[in-house]
Amino acid sequence: MTLDQQRRLLPNGARAVALVSAVAALAVSVYLTVEHYSRSIGFACPESATINCVKVTTSKYSVIAGVPVALLGLLFFVGMTVLLALPVRNRFRDLAVLAGSGVGVLMVLWLVYVELFEVDAICLWCTGVHVLTIIMFGAVLWSFLPSLDDDRPVR
Amino acid sequence: MADGNKNRAQSKKPTVAQQRQSSERAAAARVRIAKAQARRRMFVVGGAVIGVLALIGVLIIVKVATGAGGPKSGKKAVKAQSALVQQVSSVPVATLDKIGVGKARTGPSAIKAPPLTKNGKPEFLYIGAEYCPYCAAERWAVAVALSRFGTLSGVSETESASQDVFPSTATLSFHDATYTSDYLTLTAKELQSNQVVNGQYAPLDKLSKDESATVSKYNAPPYVAQGGGIPFVDIAGKYVSTGASYDPGVLKDKTHSQIAKALSDPASPIAQAVDGTANLFIAAICDATGQKPGNVCQAPGVQAAAKKLKG
Repeated sequence: MTLDQQRRLLPNGARAVALVSAVAALAVSVYLTVEHYSRSIGFACPESATINCVKVTTSKYSVIAGVPVALLGLLFFVGMTVLLALPVRNRFRDLAVLAGSGVGVLMVLWLVYVELFEVDAICLWCTGVHVLTIIMFGAVLWSFLPSLDDDRPVR
Repeated sequence: MADGNKNRAQSKKPTVAQQRQSSERAAAARVRIAKAQARRRMFVVGGAVIGVLALIGVLIIVKVATGAGGPKSGKKAVKAQSALVQQVSSVPVATLDKIGVGKARTGPSAIKAPPLTKNGKPEFLYIGAEYCPYCAAERWAVAVALSRFGTLSGVSETESASQDVFPSTATLSFHDATYTSDYLTLTAKELQSNQVVNGQYAPLDKLSKDESATVSKYNAPPYVAQGGGIPFVDIAGKYVSTGASYDPGVLKDKTHSQIAKALSDPASPIAQAVDGTANLFIAAICDATGQKPGNVCQAPGVQAAAKKLKG
């Protein structure tokens, strides 16, 4: 095994940050998914307030094509956690992680827009997931971009 | 000759000092490359993250500056037509009996609390808001239930918020409603209308100090699964409920008169949901009134609902 191959297998700080962020976001997504399904038994309007999770998580935007956004988030972070935790690095995996984190950030931008302009309320739990997704995005870029460059010929 | 060649070969072989220099140069080059890579990474990663944060910042600035995306006014409440009130307040007992619990998913939960009374009678406390879609659903059942114990009047026709879940659900408003009964009193508060003023739904009814205390204490765990929601109902301090007790989706795209008419048809999904919930409220009220009046409380539909309340 070459030194370069060994380096690719070793975890680094940024990769650890990405993995921790993904796991933390996964935990919050599990909570939001459980909340989504348990609340379906007892619907209630939240008291009117800008910081209001119930208003966000029960809005019509909380479901995409019949699937709760919280569940989509949960599945997304399961995938990201698995990819980030894989001990083997290769170009395909790295591209998948980079693409996944990019999709995650685009989803964050969409959801922030929905909260501000469609639902008119902010859910702090959701905001927590958004912050973790952006941290994961930065850490993934930091950790994985160089590995993609490694295969370029040295001049 | 051979010695001369050997000396030349030795002279080409790098000395220890030269090897060290070369190694140091290589190390310095590696450091330079590493620093350059780190700078490039910092530039790419920092730029990407700052770009994302900047986009979010722009969204927030636009929101704050323009107030876009705020609530929109719905159809203003108007006095309910007498025919509508008549249909809601005279759902046949046979229909209620046939439905029993119907499609009600939840109902009032028994609590241990001091009795809630007003004017010497058990008090039915309802807290809601006109914009609230879950309140929109629950009011139909509350109106049917209360009508079994007295006369509800002064209600209005309105609809829930147009851009919320279950948008523009047709409903009644209890703002300005009055209620007369020999068995219980009604306190109904609609905290906000469905009319937007200064970017917010306009305040409507205010809670008294006692009502605020009741809501603060009993519209919270462990009395309800999730506190702070509306509609909130407290029946004489014996039962509480929060949220809609049935799926408001059954009222989708229905007009006030369509809903009121459907309440008397036991086969209608609307009656199954609304009347089933009403029976649960009636059973809870009967528990508070000491099973009075007998003809209401002993009805088979109410008895079926009472079993569910105890279960």
